[in-house]
Amino acid sequence: MSGPRLILVADDDEDILALVTAVLERSGHEVVAVADGAEALATVRTRKPDLAVLDITMPQVDGLEVLRRLRADAETAALPVVLLSAQAQEADIERGFVTGASAYIKKPFSPRELVTRVAQLLP
Amino acid sequence: MYLFAGLAATGLYFLLPWNSAGQSLLYDLIGISSAGAVVAGTRKHRPSLPAAWYLFAAGLTAFAVGDIIFNLYAWAWHRDPPIPSVADIFYLAGYPFLAAGIVLLVLRVRPHDRRPGIVDAALLTVAFGTCQWIFVMHPLLTGSSDWVANTVALSYPAMDVLLLAALAFLALTPAWRTVSYRYLSASIVVLLVVDEIYGITPASFPATSWLDAGWLLSYILWGVAALTPSMRDLSQPTASSAGRLSAPRLFALGAAIATAPTVLLVEHVTQRPVDAFALAAGSVALSALVLLRLSGLIGSLDSLRRAEMAARAESESARRQLATQNEQLLEAGRVKDEFVALISHDLRTPLTSIVGYLELTLEDGNLTEQQRRYLDVVDRNADRLLHLVNDLLFVARLEAGQLELKPRALDLAAIVRQAVVEAEPSAAAGGLELSCDASDVPAVQADKGRMFQLMDNLVSNAIKFTPSGGDVRVSLAPVNGVVRLEVSDTGIGIASAEQQRLFERFFRAPAAFEQQIPGTGLGLYIARAIVEAHGGSIAVHSEVGEGTSFRVELPTAGHA
Repeated sequence: MSGPRLILVADDDEDILALVTAVLERSGHEVVAVADGAEALATVRTRKPDLAVLDITMPQVDGLEVLRRLRADAETAALPVVLLSAQAQEADIERGFVTGASAYIKKPFSPRELVTRVAQLLP
Repeated sequence: MYLFAGLAATGLYFLLPWNSAGQSLLYDLIGISSAGAVVAGTRKHRPSLPAAWYLFAAGLTAFAVGDIIFNLYAWAWHRDPPIPSVADIFYLAGYPFLAAGIVLLVLRVRPHDRRPGIVDAALLTVAFGTCQWIFVMHPLLTGSSDWVANTVALSYPAMDVLLLAALAFLALTPAWRTVSYRYLSASIVVLLVVDEIYGITPASFPATSWLDAGWLLSYILWGVAALTPSMRDLSQPTASSAGRLSAPRLFALGAAIATAPTVLLVEHVTQRPVDAFALAAGSVALSALVLLRLSGLIGSLDSLRRAEMAARAESESARRQLATQNEQLLEAGRVKDEFVALISHDLRTPLTSIVGYLELTLEDGNLTEQQRRYLDVVDRNADRLLHLVNDLLFVARLEAGQLELKPRALDLAAIVRQAVVEAEPSAAAGGLELSCDASDVPAVQADKGRMFQLMDNLVSNAIKFTPSGGDVRVSLAPVNGVVRLEVSDTGIGIASAEQQRLFERFFRAPAAFEQQIPGTGLGLYIARAIVEAHGGSIAVHSEVGEGTSFRVELPTAGHA
């Protein structure tokens, strides 16, 4: 990989959004943080991030719906997406992968695990 | 005994010189012995309804007295008995006694059970009576104009009709098929048959005839019926479940209904004048009885159908109620699931911030040693909280029957080793020796995540309850087609009274409270649930102060 990468982070919980942003910035990435799904979709179009970290439980457009729309659009179909969710049941995880997630990290998460996963998934 | 003696006496009767005084005496003796046998049997077996049997004895005595008087005319007074004679009065008096006894027996059956029998017996009686009138009684009338003689002559066949009515009533009531019943009915049948032959044959018989064998046999059989122990059952009838319309009964009823055409045919063939009035009366009575029987059948069918419809309606309403309750239960379950999922999510979200920021802070180099220690405590407790949330969620899923397993062939040895490696830091912190002896075992069909959860639960429990300096040993080996996992410690042990409740939800041993060992009482409950969901078993062996050993046995892939 070459140079700093742009990572989109979407989470409706302010503290967690800041936490994820801090963790990723510390490992040298550029982060664009948004608080809901609609904004996430708009940002993908305008900023063309290299990877997205999405919370699932967000108002209006949730993370799974964002993922679905990204996969349906040829331009973003290949974008690596990490789902970061407090929905920790196996059924939830399965649903995430079926919808097209590249990785699924349960909350509470280990910052180290997140950084490792992101590094693996970046093109 | 009485049967054989009676049969022997009957044989002897025919060996004696015919029409001799000795023959007559023996005949009378057999008649009296029959009445005596009935009285003796009644005394001996003490039926709950002795009256019926005393009526039989009276009837038989009347017959015997008739015989004696008849013989007195021949041997003492040396003349033919007049018509009517005193003997006739006794003979004719015998029949009502016998019939009354039989009716008494039948009346012991509950009215509901004897109702169909009454109509059927009436059908047979009317049919028999019609034939009796046309073939036996009517021809008698034409002979003489002496009304007393006519009455006496007609009385005999009439009494046969009466006795047949009683017999049919007895036979068609669904109860008693005992030995005594068979003797009794055989006796009556023999009596009736002999009477009929005597009646139909217009020529008068000499005093002794082979027909006497029938009358003697009838006497003897009646006595035997009374001497048989099963005569008691005739007084205590139990309604039998035998089909109400058995083949023999249908045949008898069919024959009864065919009376009119049969009689017409016989009268036509024998070119006798048709007794239209008697035949018409008999047919009308038969038809009325058939209608009665039919309406009874239809009535019982109707009530059966009504009962069935009522039962069906009831079961339908019960089904509907059950469906409603089921829906409510499902709804309640759904609400609970949503609640649990929500709680789980909402607890995890703040924990995410706590754990995440904590880790970020700990990664920063510039913390004092004391600050680092404090934050470690926060970290450890956040971890406990997360475990608790996970356990509660697991239990909620389990109780909702939603424990989902994804079984696949697993190498348990690898999982055991991994669990031990992960537990090493906490064992070291507790000053414990943690050893692992995991030999290679056959593959087990199991859910990997759950198996790890099980191992982790057991090993961390052992570490938690073992004081510093102790041992925790984990072993895995194949035993008799199962894989056996043992986790043994040298910890505080569990009192035997508590061992029973160990796997209950939220159970915590008092010792655990006293020594302030943290826990929720869910770990072993979850462990057992996981083991049982995999078709295995878990058991505990423990001595207070010595240590505890948990043994888990899981079926191997080939034996699952």
